[in-house]
Amino acid sequence: MNNENIAEQGVNEAINTETSAQIENAAPVANVSEAAADDMLDFDDDPLSATGVSRKSLVIFFLIDTSGSMKGKKMGELNTVMEELIPEIRKVGEADTEVKVAVLTFSTDVRWMYSNPIPIEEFEWARLRASGVTSLGAALKELNARMSRNGFLNSPSLSFAPVIFLMTDGYPSDDYKAGLKELQANSWYKFGLKAALGIGSEANDNVLAEFTGSADTVVHAYSGGQLAQMIKIIAVTSSQIGSKSMTLSDDTGHEIGEEDVFAAKQKLLGQQIQELVGKTETDDVPFDTGW
Amino acid sequence: MTELEIGQEVELEFGGKAQVLSVIGSGGQGTVYLVRFNGQKWALKWYDIDKMKKPKEFLKNLRSNIADGPPDNKFLWPKYLTKEAEDGTFGYIMDLKPEGFDSFVDILNTYKLEVDPLTGRAVKKDVKFNSLTAMITAVINIVNSFRLLHRAGKSYQDLNDGGFFINVNTGAVLVCDCDNIAPDGSNFGIGGKPGYMAPEVVRGIAQPNVQTDKYSLAVVLFKLLFRGDPMEGEKVVRDVCLTESSELKHYGQNAVFVYDPNNASNRPVRGIHDNVIKFWRIYPDYIKDAFIRSFTTGISDPTKRIIENEWQKLFIRLRSEIIMCGCGRTNFASMFVQPNEKTFKCPKCGMEFVTLGFSNRSYRMPLFLGCKFYECEINPESEEFMKVAGELVENKLKPGVIGIKNCSDRKWRAKMPDGVFYDIAPGKGFPVWQGLEIDFGQIKAQI
Repeated sequence: MNNENIAEQGVNEAINTETSAQIENAAPVANVSEAAADDMLDFDDDPLSATGVSRKSLVIFFLIDTSGSMKGKKMGELNTVMEELIPEIRKVGEADTEVKVAVLTFSTDVRWMYSNPIPIEEFEWARLRASGVTSLGAALKELNARMSRNGFLNSPSLSFAPVIFLMTDGYPSDDYKAGLKELQANSWYKFGLKAALGIGSEANDNVLAEFTGSADTVVHAYSGGQLAQMIKIIAVTSSQIGSKSMTLSDDTGHEIGEEDVFAAKQKLLGQQIQELVGKTETDDVPFDTGW
Repeated sequence: MTELEIGQEVELEFGGKAQVLSVIGSGGQGTVYLVRFNGQKWALKWYDIDKMKKPKEFLKNLRSNIADGPPDNKFLWPKYLTKEAEDGTFGYIMDLKPEGFDSFVDILNTYKLEVDPLTGRAVKKDVKFNSLTAMITAVINIVNSFRLLHRAGKSYQDLNDGGFFINVNTGAVLVCDCDNIAPDGSNFGIGGKPGYMAPEVVRGIAQPNVQTDKYSLAVVLFKLLFRGDPMEGEKVVRDVCLTESSELKHYGQNAVFVYDPNNASNRPVRGIHDNVIKFWRIYPDYIKDAFIRSFTTGISDPTKRIIENEWQKLFIRLRSEIIMCGCGRTNFASMFVQPNEKTFKCPKCGMEFVTLGFSNRSYRMPLFLGCKFYECEINPESEEFMKVAGELVENKLKPGVIGIKNCSDRKWRAKMPDGVFYDIAPGKGFPVWQGLEIDFGQIKAQI
């Protein structure tokens, strides 16, 4: 897989500046000793003053259905769990990764909670309200538009592929397939970690699996307690996996190739979500069910 | 029982119970708890055996590590095992990190977050070495601890930025996470942390061992000194999005050092890798050459990697070449002008520094008030790089007279202006003058 198509201008400009700086330094100067002294002092030469090691960045996109059917208990539960979730995600990035959050809500209209992704340390959840219909297609189009180097993924340093987490409780009321088709051509989406949560009986897991690309990363919540649990499981697991480099298999039978690592994180996410969901579901089954 | 409850008691193998007080942190293999045992506070690491490949072998190895004991007091070594729970889970207790040590990660970030207990708000606090000597001492300590470990026939396996605590005032080092340490040649399932793993481990063609430790050690040292990633330059940044396959490529199949003299495709990028660009101008060639070797020929040929003893010598030299000028500028001798072979001159204020030449080294040590040399530098049989042997001081009774004090416990002989060598007992000193010669025994020195 090459992702040169997402490499854009910014980097090249930075690289060109570096080269010209080197040429200036190489210019011949008459007095060697003085030149040497100048060379030692023409920059911040303090061996102890350093900036932090450049961190990789990760943007977590939450796509949240705020249609009328979410009104009441669902929205109350969602708002509460999202507020509680932020400090938990804060721990995830820690030293290596700068985590940012962007929230896109969709009902009749599509809206970003903030105009830019916000660093997790500064992020504050603005409580959402529900009304209108479920314009998932429009939301996917909007996500596609912002998920670019010129849009929300403009960190100058390296980025991990984003985490994209979709939550919805109904069948899309617009042409979601058209939106998804546009999104599927986006490299960030292709490499991103996708997960989805269906809320209640109206949400269609097949639609969600089309979005995530696999059934393993789709889960369903039927009760309020489950909703809170599932949101936490998905958000924490996906941001944990998304904010770290891949962990390699140490199965050293053969040299690892691209095919071994392709979409390795997405597969790992599917596995972990299924494991965690499996654990909680057995607890939820009433004693007289499942015989 | 993958998680422990607060208040829960865990039985130790040789008796006694540890009570869980709080969670300290969690990692890939389990969680570390603060516990009380025998009236004292300890750290308890409790494993999630579902996440381990070979828990039985792992436990057996842990047991033999505990029996062997640490190679040196710089290791936060496992102390006692717990009893195995019915489901096979287990843990061990170890000493807590002492006060005054910061994590390597915080040092790289240049700050740590401290949570105000009243407001719950996290406040950024600077984490920075307070002197250049402390920083280079920390490097020597890190190198030395791995030298001792490897000499004990063991490898650390997953050497990374989470493995150390450092005292930024003194350069003292504590090596933590010692539970994956294993006899060289064995591996109990740990792969390592991407970015620190040797390319052959990333590619899946080797398991962690002493040679791959050497690669990871070079990465740790590079990060500490140059404050950046040795393999992350233009080539990597062009990919923008770090996918699994780009990591395999840039850290495994096609890893290119940012300052590879024969391959300029991956140079640091201004605006992103400013630290590396800056520090590459500051460090002397012999340090840069060692990194070039580690990250060029050392990538494909593990036997070409710098051995710990060689790093240790290089950094002991670097420490002896630090100059603290009266004008406040502190830097390595290579960042001072050298008007002649025996003199350094501050490019900022013009102050000149005379140097001392030792019979066992090709480089000269600049002298300034407060500069020190160490036991290992004047005694070929000594390995003591922390024990001060001599210091340049001002005579307390004759202000303005500068001399060298014998801080060692052996007698030296020094030549005075009358041409005669006099005995210098421990605790005594002698003035520095143009024709000074010192006889330390096997090693001699002169101005």
